[in-house]
Amino acid sequence: MKVLIVNNMAPFIWGGAEELAVNLQKNLIIAGHDAEVMRIPFQWEPASTIPSQMLLTRTLEIFNTDHVIALKFPAYLVRHHRKSLWLLHQYRQAYDLYDVGQTNLPADQTGADIRKAIINADNESFAESRHIYTNSEVTRKRLLKHNGFDSQVLLPPVNDPESFIGGQFDDYIFAGGRVNGMKRQYMLLEALAKADKRVKLIIAGPPESPADTQQLNVIIEKFSLQDRVKLDLRFLPRATYVDYVNRALAVAYIPFDEDSLGYVAMEAATARKALITTTDSGGILGLVTPGETGWRAEPTAESLAEAMNAAFESKTRTKQYGEGAQALWNGLGINWPETIEALLK
Amino acid sequence: MKIALCSTFVPFIRGGGRNIVDWLASTLTEAGHQVEVVYLPELDVPDLLFQQMMALRWVDLQAADRVICFRPQAHLIPHPHKILWFIHHIRVFYDLWDTPYRDFADNAKHCAIREALFDADTRALSEAKAIFTNSKVVSARLKTYNDVDSEVLYPPVFESERFFCAGYNDEIAYICRLEHHKRQHLLIEALSFTTTPVRIRLLGTGSGPDYGIALRQKINDCNVADRVILDDRWITEEEKVECLSTCLAAAYLPVDEDSYGYPSLEASHAEKPILTTTDSGGVLELVQDGYNGYIAEPTPESLAIAMDKLYRERSTTEAMGKNAKQRLVDLKISWSHVLERLLA
Repeated sequence: MKVLIVNNMAPFIWGGAEELAVNLQKNLIIAGHDAEVMRIPFQWEPASTIPSQMLLTRTLEIFNTDHVIALKFPAYLVRHHRKSLWLLHQYRQAYDLYDVGQTNLPADQTGADIRKAIINADNESFAESRHIYTNSEVTRKRLLKHNGFDSQVLLPPVNDPESFIGGQFDDYIFAGGRVNGMKRQYMLLEALAKADKRVKLIIAGPPESPADTQQLNVIIEKFSLQDRVKLDLRFLPRATYVDYVNRALAVAYIPFDEDSLGYVAMEAATARKALITTTDSGGILGLVTPGETGWRAEPTAESLAEAMNAAFESKTRTKQYGEGAQALWNGLGINWPETIEALLK
Repeated sequence: MKIALCSTFVPFIRGGGRNIVDWLASTLTEAGHQVEVVYLPELDVPDLLFQQMMALRWVDLQAADRVICFRPQAHLIPHPHKILWFIHHIRVFYDLWDTPYRDFADNAKHCAIREALFDADTRALSEAKAIFTNSKVVSARLKTYNDVDSEVLYPPVFESERFFCAGYNDEIAYICRLEHHKRQHLLIEALSFTTTPVRIRLLGTGSGPDYGIALRQKINDCNVADRVILDDRWITEEEKVECLSTCLAAAYLPVDEDSYGYPSLEASHAEKPILTTTDSGGVLELVQDGYNGYIAEPTPESLAIAMDKLYRERSTTEAMGKNAKQRLVDLKISWSHVLERLLA
């Protein structure tokens, strides 16, 4: 089948959605289909240009294509007789963010008109779609609440599961992903200060701001943690990131109340790593069963320190949890073959 | 610099029109620029023409420092620093209007569309900071139809340093898609008129199986099976390099093409003379008769004479091969020149 993946392009910005589209394409080809990604430029600033860009998308003639998979607003407005959506997000500034006042839509009649145009176009597109899948329970609920369309949650699989082979257990807990206040790497350092001396930590990923880097360095300085922690704060080459995961004793991921399982946790489970998280971390709790796949600490330095100590206390047990994490993850059926089967239904 | 390369495409059809864009993207990235490639669909149907042109008009690429536009109607994309590397018009409304390629009526409606298209194109062309084309033919059309001046900027091949010359065997290679308008059949017919043991090798794949089948039939009819190799499949780049390194010469005989075609460039990089015909169009911008190849009449007899000369007069053939490579330098067909002009 000739499958066209339709996504947005924020010119010169590459992120998670772009990565997902490329991997979807790769896996469609593995499954024996011809697949291409079409990226439609979209600038949401100023808001007054949103309607013309919606029209642009709606106006394109998609031909020589058997099936379309569209990912985002306004890319999913494209017309095609066989279009399924894998909704990563709508234009949230017209929906949930609008409701809480976080919107770039003008506060006057123009803003109200643009919002109405977005909602109407969305509803029309959803109605003409063959199937609607959403990337998380949160996205599903939003769509149901604001547009009245139900959908099926289709969690994005790990992009390159073949890389996460695990097998090695060096003496460190790994904390990967973007570094910022919501991800709370600072709390891991505070916990490290209270944990046994043998516990070591690697924090690696791109910091959101210089202040985030500064904050971590201050804590390391304050508690003299230099010998027990390694900071690698940058956008890591994929191979470097994979290596950190594969060689970790366990993986810690303690964001505040996230929607989804999180790639960091999914990749760790794929690599058979025990997981350390906190009771208020949201989605990742679905992968962390105490006594089986890892530890659910309270969101305090003391409680996290106990979990870290436990990981080093019995490495046999930690490895067992890693096996458990992989088994739990595999049982969820979040893999490319099943994902593609659903998207092409 | 942030550069957006804009073109149009037909999903799932890969070919020459995409090479120039994708190769330039790689070259610019290599040179340290940030590059986005924008491909939007374009279908040449009269009734859908203007709505698709409107879509391009709504594209917002203000985030780019400059945009470079290729296949039509990408030149309609608005941008304060728009550069065109114009490769063709929507030809059925332009030079192919009075030909069988126009599959709609010459009536008032279509004439009005044509007129409006000319007007929109001319205005979009006037917005550009600079207009380059891929051949003299296209530059002449821009002048004739839109009264616009342009500079010819010949598209190079990708990683041309891959090609090399390892000698000259007895084979004339024709490495190209198997399509009727590329006229591989003419080369087979010519072979039956040759008087030397010169051989030909046809490599490439077609959009359908029909032409390949017809060629096999032709080989049998002409009774030249012992001197022809027809390999109708998608060969690898390595195979192409290998074949060109050892062949005697390369053939490229399309019917009236706009540009010189990548097959003739690749042959030149491998220091091989090019065999072409007087009606091949843009190829004649590259090939000078007796200097870097032969320009035959598009008849089997005329081609056969040239093929025999290539076989028999080896020192001339080899000298023409050397000239073929020099010709690329003389015409400034290189990525460094392309970057210099596009980023000026």
